[in-house]
Amino acid sequence: MNTFEWTNPTSVAEAVKLLRVEQEGAAARDQDGVPQPLGGGQDILTTMKERITRPARLVNLKGIRGLDKIEGNARRGLRIGALVTLTQLEEHSEIRRGFPGLAEAAQSIATPQIRNLGTVGGNLCQRPRCWYFRLEQVVCLKKGGTECYAAVGENKYNAILGGGPSYIVHPSDLAPMLIALGASVVVEGPSGKRTIALDKFFTLPKEGNVRRENVLNNDDIITEIQVPASAMAARSTYLKFKERSSLDFALSSVAAAVEMDAGGTVRQARIVLGGVAPVPWRAPDAEKSLVGKRLDAGTLAEAARLALQGAVPLEKNAYKVPLTQTLVRRALAKVGGATTA
Amino acid sequence: MQQPAKKMKKVMVPRVVDGKETMVEIEVEDTGDSPKWGPNNAHRLLNKNITRVDAPLKVTGAAIYSYDVRLPGMLYGRILRSPHAHARITKLDTTAAERIPGVRAVTVVPSAAVVEGSQKATEEADKKNPIKVGGTAQPASNAVLKIVRFEGEPVAAVAALTPEIADDAIRAIVVEYQALPHAVEARLAMKPDAPKVMPEGNIKAASKSGDREKVAAAIAGCDAIIEAEYSTPTVHHACLETHGMVVDYRGGNTATAYASTQGTFTIPGDTAKELGLPESAVTAVVEHMGGGFGAKFGIGVEGKLACQLSKQTKAPVKMMLTRTDEFLFAGNRSGSWQKLKGGAMADGTLVALDATQYRLGGLGDGSQANQPYVYRPTQSYREVSSVYTNQDSSRAMRAPGHPQASFAIECLIDDLAAKINIDPIVFRKKNLPDTIYHRQIDRGAREIGWERRNKTPGGSAGPLKRGMGCAVGTWGAGGGPSCVVDVNVARDGAVVVAVGSQDLGTGTRTYTRAIIAEELGLSISDVLEKIGNSKLGNANASGGSTTVPSLAPALKDAAVNARLAVAGKVAPLLGIKPEEVIFADGKLSGGGKSLAWKQACAALPASGISARGAWKEPLQARGVHGVCFAEVEVDIETGFVRPIKMVHVQDIGLPLNRLAVASQINGGMIQSLGMALYEGRVMDAQLGIMLNPSFNDYKLPGTLEMPQLVSIIDDEDLREAVLGVGEPSLIPAVGAVANAVFNACGIRVRELPITPDKILMGMMKEERQKS
Ligand SMILES: Cc1cc2nc3c(=O)[nH]c(=O)nc-3n(C[C@H](O)[C@H](O)[C@H](O)COP(=O)(O)OP(=O)(O)OC[C@H]3O[C@@H](n4cnc5c(N)ncnc54)[C@H](O)[C@@H]3O)c2cc1C
Ligand code: SF4
Repeated sequence: MNTFEWTNPTSVAEAVKLLRVEQEGAAARDQDGVPQPLGGGQDILTTMKERITRPARLVNLKGIRGLDKIEGNARRGLRIGALVTLTQLEEHSEIRRGFPGLAEAAQSIATPQIRNLGTVGGNLCQRPRCWYFRLEQVVCLKKGGTECYAAVGENKYNAILGGGPSYIVHPSDLAPMLIALGASVVVEGPSGKRTIALDKFFTLPKEGNVRRENVLNNDDIITEIQVPASAMAARSTYLKFKERSSLDFALSSVAAAVEMDAGGTVRQARIVLGGVAPVPWRAPDAEKSLVGKRLDAGTLAEAARLALQGAVPLEKNAYKVPLTQTLVRRALAKVGGATTA
Repeated sequence: MQQPAKKMKKVMVPRVVDGKETMVEIEVEDTGDSPKWGPNNAHRLLNKNITRVDAPLKVTGAAIYSYDVRLPGMLYGRILRSPHAHARITKLDTTAAERIPGVRAVTVVPSAAVVEGSQKATEEADKKNPIKVGGTAQPASNAVLKIVRFEGEPVAAVAALTPEIADDAIRAIVVEYQALPHAVEARLAMKPDAPKVMPEGNIKAASKSGDREKVAAAIAGCDAIIEAEYSTPTVHHACLETHGMVVDYRGGNTATAYASTQGTFTIPGDTAKELGLPESAVTAVVEHMGGGFGAKFGIGVEGKLACQLSKQTKAPVKMMLTRTDEFLFAGNRSGSWQKLKGGAMADGTLVALDATQYRLGGLGDGSQANQPYVYRPTQSYREVSSVYTNQDSSRAMRAPGHPQASFAIECLIDDLAAKINIDPIVFRKKNLPDTIYHRQIDRGAREIGWERRNKTPGGSAGPLKRGMGCAVGTWGAGGGPSCVVDVNVARDGAVVVAVGSQDLGTGTRTYTRAIIAEELGLSISDVLEKIGNSKLGNANASGGSTTVPSLAPALKDAAVNARLAVAGKVAPLLGIKPEEVIFADGKLSGGGKSLAWKQACAALPASGISARGAWKEPLQARGVHGVCFAEVEVDIETGFVRPIKMVHVQDIGLPLNRLAVASQINGGMIQSLGMALYEGRVMDAQLGIMLNPSFNDYKLPGTLEMPQLVSIIDDEDLREAVLGVGEPSLIPAVGAVANAVFNACGIRVRELPITPDKILMGMMKEERQKS
């Protein structure tokens, strides 16, 4: 990796200052070499070693007190500090009971070693896994080049929904689940605090800046993730499909949460897909189709069909359509209490 | 006085060049009285489970690998690779790199060091295109690399105080490339208008045999015909210790090379040549090494660069490859593309096979066993050729060419069996003339519970479908005369056995001790082995599963000679003849008397006794079989394949250490499972580069992928001879897993690896055909 300056702020305000880019203008924050926050380092160290990112300065957030706590419960909702590790989430008894999908999502990530260090903030802000992006010598659109090589090249793992001009899939496993649970992030920047609903946090390449995956400015820090109390949280699940069980990213995943009445009829539902789009992909039509219905085979199949509506596979990833449909059905069956779908 | 003419005899032995095995006939002295192992079930230590002697060192991290060697004043080397698949270097300027503090030397890769296969073409191109080095124009005769022919081809190297500085320095070397057209995919390289990878053309015909018309006529008359294409991608050795070595040379008259190699004795010559020293001035040290699988012979381009840098700096240089280097230029198993057409009769007779086989070895020839592999249809035709592409040359990899061929033919056999509706193992037995396969098939079938299997592929209910598959393999596994073993018994009773051979992790250290201990009636801990050093007795490189069959006979011979020498000195104390002395339980006895080992050794001369051993042909044999069964579960709605159980039955003559043999067989099954379900190099055809050169993206099977592994040593093989087992254990599992997937879900995937996307696409196609 390139040499960089190491800084250890003890407050959020100080960290924000250290992240400021001296040059003016929007382009400055895409520029190679801008300072970057460091959480657990499980992603950024890999990109630095491969020289995909070359921050001139790392702003270590771990010296800031109070960002590593989980507060609240199923009744009040959760406040999760940005420095909370994935292991903390996975092992938290209140989360396991009241927000089972969130514990499942945390547990599905990487390896125990990585989960011991990886933080929630870092997980949401991790960079894509597209092969081309991860190779030092390839300068694709996302790295300031002019072409998306995946669009016409090896795109087995790329997006089938919301793609273009870049076709990454968002790699975070927490994000789809947190969105399904209606979470927001608290962000602090030079002009103070703001709260952003997580389903407005991630940006499609065609809407936002193709070089970034979210709405943050370079000197913004996520300090907290808020998960509201919800009637759906208890019936939530995260189904992640990996090509290889030992340590792998999702080929496709489904975060689902439902509220049902005593008779088994769905009151409300959330379905968010991972691994298929540049952002966690909400499936509102599928969600609506469930309301007022019992989760029988026909309902599940229809929801699965609707969830993948509009999918435009690339040359090598059409398999993601039936795969994700299966996962939608199975996730819903699971939260609905059925054993098979 | 006239010497009596030595009695000679001719024997066939494998000659392993760069891990490629060919059989040659040689003459050896017929000494007539070779020692014998005795019946396989009559050993005390051998043919039992022996814990490997280096296990404590390895599990505690105390074992020193080349990667761990740290010497005072040592520099770290790094290699700059070409980012292009094919390009002309128009400028190469090392000035900026040399200016970085901590950089001690920069060297440019000479043409002569170019990785195998690309050399000839490079030299031709060099003649035409002089380039600039360090800002000044160099004449072509300067032998500097001017054309790079694959992504990853080494261009230059640096030595620096730390690996981090070296990493920065290679990036500071300014290289200007003029990109040239490339072909990295075989199918594209075969087109008439494809860019020329080799000046003489991209396709090289290798061999042809059989009468194609007769085969076509025979197939036409068959009850069932299968015509299909099979392909396997380039896969990697994935040794946990990367290639490389530490050269300890400080400008004097001698040098030491700590090398991660499969051939201790392949190191001194190459190293000496680079350093300008006589071969005998270089010592190779290979105490422990982290895997080779066929890719580590000689010092390689990395070793040459290490020597150059060491020579320039007069300091030790450590040049261990990075993982990316390892994927890009340190070898791989060649890919394959096979077009097969076979026919069978309803009674289960395999009638004919027509095979077109392409070996896809990048800039190398690649390897592929000839079809119809172990099967013997009445008629067969095959043509084999190599297709060149702008990728690094393949190297030998554990059973070179066999899993590729076995996978294709075993899938075809299974498909034919399904078509004529006959049990695949009945079909196999009918068409395998060698009955050793029959007993191994029966044994494996019993172990896996073959009778439980799906009768119709894909026939079981529900989305989770189980299936079983079977496949067979063959290998040579014999040895040759190259090892010289010395045994020394000291007057204090210490026993040291010494030979330069390396332990690839396969257990050489352990059986080296065990054979001596067995013969002398001692326990394993009474013997100390010295191996992995080129100053010790000669040994062959470990390729072609030849280590055991080359080394163990010489160990046995040395052990017998040591026993006779000790007996000669001790017999008078017991009042008996030397041949009457019994060596057992740490004692020497006979004539009603008995002496403890140490007591007995006190009778030895002050210098102890020394005995030497050489290869004895009758102590080893050649030719093994091997059968694998696999059971998997396929989720047809996600395409996920869960390996459940694998069984491998292997004949191996006398298994020196059953634990080590079982371990080899397990490892073979695991590596095969990787090739069947997970692994494969992915190339971008347009950019000409490898997309997954890391352990994150190149998917090796991990602990969660492991099925129940059952390795069965075929003890019905009564040969009182040793054979190698490393390679045969890898061959059939690929086909067995592929057949199990087919049996489970009815989808035949003919392109490895069998990943969920391919199964789902297969399901989608089937549904479309139904509707
Ligand atoms: C082998 C491997 C496998 C993995 N598998 C998975 C997987 O299956 N699923 C998955 O979801 N992830 C996976 N990851 C990705 C990732 O490492 C972890 O998810 C982890 O949570 C990242 O957190 P971190 O704190 O270590 O992030 P860091 O590496 O510290 O940071 C990642 C990015 O986020 C930024 N950042 C960190 N904290 C903040 C903050 N509070 N505010 C703003 N920006 C911030 C950093 O600047 C950086 O750009 C894997 C990683 C590896 C190396
Ligand atoms: S999908 Fe995005 S990251 Fe991948 S090649 Fe295209 S632009 Fe680059």
